[in-house]
Amino acid sequence: MSNIPRGIRRGLFGVSLPVYALLYLPLSVIAIFSFAPSLHHPGVNLAAYGELFNDATVLAALRRSITLAFGSAILGTALGTLMGFGLSRFRPAKGGGFWVGALPSLIIYTPIIMPSLVFGISELIFFNLVHEYTGLLSAGLLTMGIAHVTFQSPYVALVVYARLTGLDPNLFEASHDLYANPIKSFLYLTIPVVRPALIGGFLLAITLSIDDFTISFFTAGPGSVTLPIYIYSAIARKGSSPEINALGSLMIATVIGVALLYYFVTRRQQQRSRQIPAVA
Amino acid sequence: MSASVSAKRGAISLTGITRIFAGTIPAVDHIDLEIQAGEFFTLLGPSGCGKTTLLRMIAGFEAPDEGRIVISGREMQGVPAHKRAVNTVFQSYALFPHLNVEQNIGFGLKMQGVKAAERKKRVDAIMDMMQIGQFATRSAAQLSGGQRQRVALARALVNEPEVVLLDEPLSALDAKLRAELQIELLRMQKRLGMTFVFVTHDQHEALVMSDRIAVMSKGRIQQVGPVLDVYEKPKNVFVAEFLGLSNIWAFEPVSAHEARTAIGVLNIGENLTGPGMAMIRPEKIWLYSDNAFEAGRPNMFLGKICEAIYMGASTQYRIELQCGQFLTAYDTNNQAAERSWRPGEAVAVELKPENIMLVEA
Repeated sequence: MSNIPRGIRRGLFGVSLPVYALLYLPLSVIAIFSFAPSLHHPGVNLAAYGELFNDATVLAALRRSITLAFGSAILGTALGTLMGFGLSRFRPAKGGGFWVGALPSLIIYTPIIMPSLVFGISELIFFNLVHEYTGLLSAGLLTMGIAHVTFQSPYVALVVYARLTGLDPNLFEASHDLYANPIKSFLYLTIPVVRPALIGGFLLAITLSIDDFTISFFTAGPGSVTLPIYIYSAIARKGSSPEINALGSLMIATVIGVALLYYFVTRRQQQRSRQIPAVA
Repeated sequence: MSASVSAKRGAISLTGITRIFAGTIPAVDHIDLEIQAGEFFTLLGPSGCGKTTLLRMIAGFEAPDEGRIVISGREMQGVPAHKRAVNTVFQSYALFPHLNVEQNIGFGLKMQGVKAAERKKRVDAIMDMMQIGQFATRSAAQLSGGQRQRVALARALVNEPEVVLLDEPLSALDAKLRAELQIELLRMQKRLGMTFVFVTHDQHEALVMSDRIAVMSKGRIQQVGPVLDVYEKPKNVFVAEFLGLSNIWAFEPVSAHEARTAIGVLNIGENLTGPGMAMIRPEKIWLYSDNAFEAGRPNMFLGKICEAIYMGASTQYRIELQCGQFLTAYDTNNQAAERSWRPGEAVAVELKPENIMLVEA
């Protein structure tokens, strides 16, 4: 970095300021207005927060969001972890060409690059079809959960895959060599070394689920309004309000909290068990 | 070798071992090998010669496509790595990143169900022996290369295995540390009396460490024997060249002890039965100043120094003989050394018959 000329460094710094401003100004506007007594009236009070916590609809939506987030994140992490393990076994570096090497990862990553609108609509049509022919899977938290797991698991798979491919492949052989049968090797080596990735993937899955609107919107049923859907409909009905600002601020705080939690958890783990660079 | 010998704890017997990776030539091709209990045995060869694959099959990480592996008299067919009383020191060390030094070393004992108190006693003892006690609670990432190497070795030795397998364990270390650890490894091996199977591509390391060496090339064993035999009496050109510099000429016999080569007729100690290859090591060549030359004395030639490479304890000379052929000779720089030679100086060289070896092509 230090060999970049000073003028360019200053220029880059100058460019970064408006980027940060664009990122964080709208967020701070919401936070500031959540303390305003009413829209366009500056001042500080917590009325909006008070109303929020007394609003049964909001609390119900919050409960659903949390249920959905945790339920889908647990399943999404489990599936994503298995996918990450699978991918690391068939990584292109090991050969196998397109069919064995590249294709599995392409299939798994597709949900990440797929526009969520298309994803949501196709889930909607699929669930409707299934419901029509079998009577199962009526739109509601269950269909939303399935959709969330579908888009969470590739992210988790990526995180786990990155961790596994960063490890010395001899580690697993070393554990067998040191008398660990496959089950013990999984418990005493695999789980501990991928734990930071598991925690990271789980927290990522939670934040993905909590703030998802597009896919949730298409897969939700009448009784499954989550926070993002509630916010959307509230704004559609009566525009922005201090309560919505307050709700938005709380969600921002939650996501930042989760991100910080992830940082501290993984940093502690890494300090204890920094990756040993493989030699030769 | 009789069955009773190979049934000894730590003896390894390989019969007809073959391993073929999908669609390629065999990595290991019908290898028969007896490794004796308690010996320091080295598999030496260039990369890709199959030595690591062979080691991995002894460890149980890979199964041979053909052949039998018997360790301490027990057939290893179908025995997974975690049930073999064999421990490996990996080239990459493969220390567990989530465990500290103590826990790394104790891993094998823990997996075998050794109780915590007994485990601690044994781990402490080996850490003392390897002088790594002061690092007990550090994570592997906080250790230097040499310290990691010691931990990896301790992690294998603490289990008191029948056989210790070492896959180029010193290749990542600098020369000084490497020399230190070579001596330490040898000391540990003699002290504990375990069988060590050591894989390396470094001929010098193989010579320093081993009781016996197997030189491998293209999945086959070229020669097995005590270090001295393999170096002094290489079986073929590959072994001769892999174990150090050598001067090699093709010859046609003129009489029972005279061979015509590119540098002239050589007297050879062995009985000649047909054309072949003759070899002499550079340090076996005698160098004199040119006025010591005696015309007509067998195996003596005149030449000129083309190149002198000073290597500390010795100097390597490239000499152009009068016939236009080149040869390489070493002269030691010890107190008995007459003098050293400079490029351009005329010299006489003598190749004594007893130092000329016949090798297969």
